[in-house]
Amino acid sequence: MSTDPGPAAGPPPRDEGLQPERTALSWQRTVLGVVLGSLVLAGAGLRAGSTVTVCAAAVVGVLALVPAVLRTPSGGLPGDGRLHSFAFLVRVVALVVALALVGAVWAFGRGAGAP
Amino acid sequence: MSTERGTGVAEDDQGAAEGADPRPDTRRPRSVYGVGTEPDARFSLANERTALAWVRTGLGLVAGGVALTSFATFAGMPGVLDVVAGVACLVGACFAGYALVSWRRNERALRLREPLPAPSGLPVLVTGVVVLAVLLAGYAVGSATWP
Repeated sequence: MSTDPGPAAGPPPRDEGLQPERTALSWQRTVLGVVLGSLVLAGAGLRAGSTVTVCAAAVVGVLALVPAVLRTPSGGLPGDGRLHSFAFLVRVVALVVALALVGAVWAFGRGAGAP
Repeated sequence: MSTERGTGVAEDDQGAAEGADPRPDTRRPRSVYGVGTEPDARFSLANERTALAWVRTGLGLVAGGVALTSFATFAGMPGVLDVVAGVACLVGACFAGYALVSWRRNERALRLREPLPAPSGLPVLVTGVVVLAVLLAGYAVGSATWP
């Protein structure tokens, strides 16, 4: 090779432990779980005829899916060599909390006798 | 081949400290990235996966609670099931929030080269799951024996 084999000469080498791939798969499982959870809640709301629950669950599902498709968290190292996972983590946790609050309000409402 | 960011903390500690990235680190939260030195990326990735596993645990409780609410539409004593489902959803939200707390504590410990803190959420999770199982078992027995 005649080119300079500096640190920025090519893509970073793969980790033998496949840590970036495992982290990316973990992200995908989590996002998939949020989407499936919102689908379960939407289905339950649909059966019970609760339009508000269906709409809230659909919003959570779309909010989880759209950023994951547009900017997939690869789990690998970005170009600057630093991990930037906290923003994604906060977003996913916020969606799970939103889903939980919708489910809890709906469940307690039903338990209290509301339709 | 190994990762871009070194293969071991012990052997790379000194080199990482000396060859630290001169660019300013603007990542948030500053309470984490403003202290210590950059750890081996594989440890940070493992910490990230652990936090995601906590999120999925909370998500499982939320999904279980929602499924329980669906079950309550055609089961006996639906009020009891709805309350248990609501509690499961709230506990699931708490575990999702704990994922952030746990990630922050572990990442700080990694950056400061300190021992990792104990997983304080684990006993709570085990206790909660056991309580939930006992409640549901009580419900199953009660609905089977109730006239």
